[in-house]
Amino acid sequence: MNKIFRYECQRLLWNKFFFGFLGVLLLYGWQVLEGVTLSGISHTAPFSPWSFGDYLSRMMPLLWTGALFFLTFFTSSAARRAAVLTDAAPFSPRGYALTRCAAALTGTCLITFACLAETAVFYRWYFGWQDWGTLILPVLTVLVPALVFSLGSGWLLGRIRPWLLYAWMLFPFLCRTLPLPQTACIWNGSFFARYPLTLDVLDPPFSLPFSTAAVQTVVLGIGVMLWGIGMCWERK
Amino acid sequence: MEINIKNVSMTYPNGKQALKNLSLWLRSPSLVGLLGPNGAGKSTLMKLLSAALLPTSGVIEINGQPLPQAEKSLKARLGYLPQDFGLFDELTVEQFLEYMATLKGISSRGSTSSPSSAASHNTFASRHSTMSHHTTTVKDAIRAVNLEKNAKSRIRTLSGGQRQRTGIAQALLGSPDFLILDEPTVGLDPEERIRFRNLFSRAAQDRLVLLSTHIIEDVQSVCNQLIVMNHGKILFSGTPEELIQSASGHVGVFWEKEAQNNHTAPRPLCITEQPLHVTNQPLHVTNQTLHITARINTANGVRCRAVADTLPPFAQPEEPSLEDAYLYLISREVTQ
Repeated sequence: MNKIFRYECQRLLWNKFFFGFLGVLLLYGWQVLEGVTLSGISHTAPFSPWSFGDYLSRMMPLLWTGALFFLTFFTSSAARRAAVLTDAAPFSPRGYALTRCAAALTGTCLITFACLAETAVFYRWYFGWQDWGTLILPVLTVLVPALVFSLGSGWLLGRIRPWLLYAWMLFPFLCRTLPLPQTACIWNGSFFARYPLTLDVLDPPFSLPFSTAAVQTVVLGIGVMLWGIGMCWERK
Repeated sequence: MEINIKNVSMTYPNGKQALKNLSLWLRSPSLVGLLGPNGAGKSTLMKLLSAALLPTSGVIEINGQPLPQAEKSLKARLGYLPQDFGLFDELTVEQFLEYMATLKGISSRGSTSSPSSAASHNTFASRHSTMSHHTTTVKDAIRAVNLEKNAKSRIRTLSGGQRQRTGIAQALLGSPDFLILDEPTVGLDPEERIRFRNLFSRAAQDRLVLLSTHIIEDVQSVCNQLIVMNHGKILFSGTPEELIQSASGHVGVFWEKEAQNNHTAPRPLCITEQPLHVTNQPLHVTNQTLHITARINTANGVRCRAVADTLPPFAQPEEPSLEDAYLYLISREVTQ
C-alpha cells in the first residue's frame, strides 16, 4: 500500500503540470497579496484574519481546480487503459481507491501549504509579522470545506463521466460571479469584505455568523459523504 | 490449474453477441493458441477468463469453483496482457513493474523461482521454488523481456515495441499459474517475436498459457492445443496436427491462366494484404468455391495456392500448412 501511495504521489507531483500549476498559483497569490491584501480588507490590517480570509477566498478557485486536476490522473483515457491491467490484480479495489484518494489529498494539501507558505513569507517580508495562530480559523472556514467537497464530489463525478471533472473546475469561478445569499457568500468572496463592516468595531476579531458556519459545515459534511459514497461504489 | 467453460454466452449492452453458447475445458500445463479473424470473440473470451467481464449466461469454473467466488484466487494466479492496454507514462519501467508487483501482492506473497534460473537469462520458464523477493521478481521480469537497458527509462520515452515488452513483463511478474496473452507479439520485431515465442513455450511447461494471435507462425511451433473461433463460436479445438489433417486433400496450387481456361465466372481473384483473411471474392469453378490463399508472380505466370472442399482438376494437391488448414476452416464457415 505504501509503495502504491508513493508511486501515485510521484505520478501526481513529479511532472510538468504540477510545477507549472504551482508557478501559476504562487504568481497569482503574490499578485493578490501585493495588489489587494497589502492595503487591508474592510479597514482591517493586512495580516488580520479578514484580509487573510479574503486572500484565501480569492485563491480557493485555483486550489479547487488543482485538486480536481489531481483526480484527472485517475480518470483520463490513458489511466482507464492502464486500469485494464490494474483491475486484473488481486488488490482490493476499495483499498486501491483509498490509496489513490490519499495521494490526491496529499497533492491538494501540498498546493494549499505552498499557498499558505507564500503568505507567511509575504507577512514576514513586509511586516515582520508571525502570529500564525490567528489565521487558522480562516483556513478552516474557507479552504477545508471547499477542498474536501471538491475531492469528494470530483471523485464521484470522475467515475460517472471523466469530462465532468473539467466542467466542475469552473464551479467556484462561476460562484464568484453570482450574487449569493449572505449565508453562502464565502463562495463568491464577498463575505470578508462585507461582514467586518457590519460588526461596527475597528479591526474586529474573527467571527462567523451561525448561518455561514452552518453552511460551511454542511458543505464539509456533504464532501465527506460524497467521498464515502465514492469509496462504497468501488467493487469489494 | 483447470478451467471449465460451460455454455457461456456473452452479449454486450449494445446488443452485439460476442460469444454463443461456448464450452471449453483447459488444463495446465498447456500452451493453447487461440486463433480467429477480427471480431471472432477471442478478446471477449479472454476478458471473461480474467474476470474483467461477467458472462450473460453460462458458467466459468476455476478449479471446480464458479468464477465469481474464485475471482480473487484467480487474479492472484493470473498474468494478463490485454490487446489494448495503457501504462503509467510518468513512471520508469522498473517503478511500474514494482507498482504492479505490489498490486499483485507479490511483495507479501513471495514468488517461486529456481536459484539457478535466477541467474539464467529467462527465469520464468522454470518454477522450482525458492523464495524470490519483490525486487528480484521485478528484475527477473525485466530480464525476461530484455529491457535491462530501459529499466530506468520513463515509460513515455519507450518505443511501441518496448511498451509492449513492458506489458508482457507485468504479465510475467511472479510466475503466475495462468497466463492470458492477447496479441503479445504485436509491434515486436521478428527476432523478439521468436524470443517471446520460446519464452511462452518454456513458461507453458508447468502452467496454462492462453495465447491469442493473428500470426499463425507464433502458434505453429509452440502450441500443443489450438482453438479456432469465428462469430463467437468454436470451430475447432484440438492439436495443430489434427487441424492440418482436417485440411488434407483440400489445398492445391495451380497456374492462374489454367484456372481462367477452366471456368466461366468473371475473375475476381484478389489477394488480401493479411494472409489470415480469406479473400471475400471466392473464385467459382464449376459449382465449387476456391479460396485463393496466396498468389505469386513468377516468370511463367501467376502461381496460385488455394483451399477448397473439392479441388478442381487443374489444381495440383499440396501438403497443407497450418495456415492453409486455418484458412480452409474459416473459408468453409464463410461459404456455409
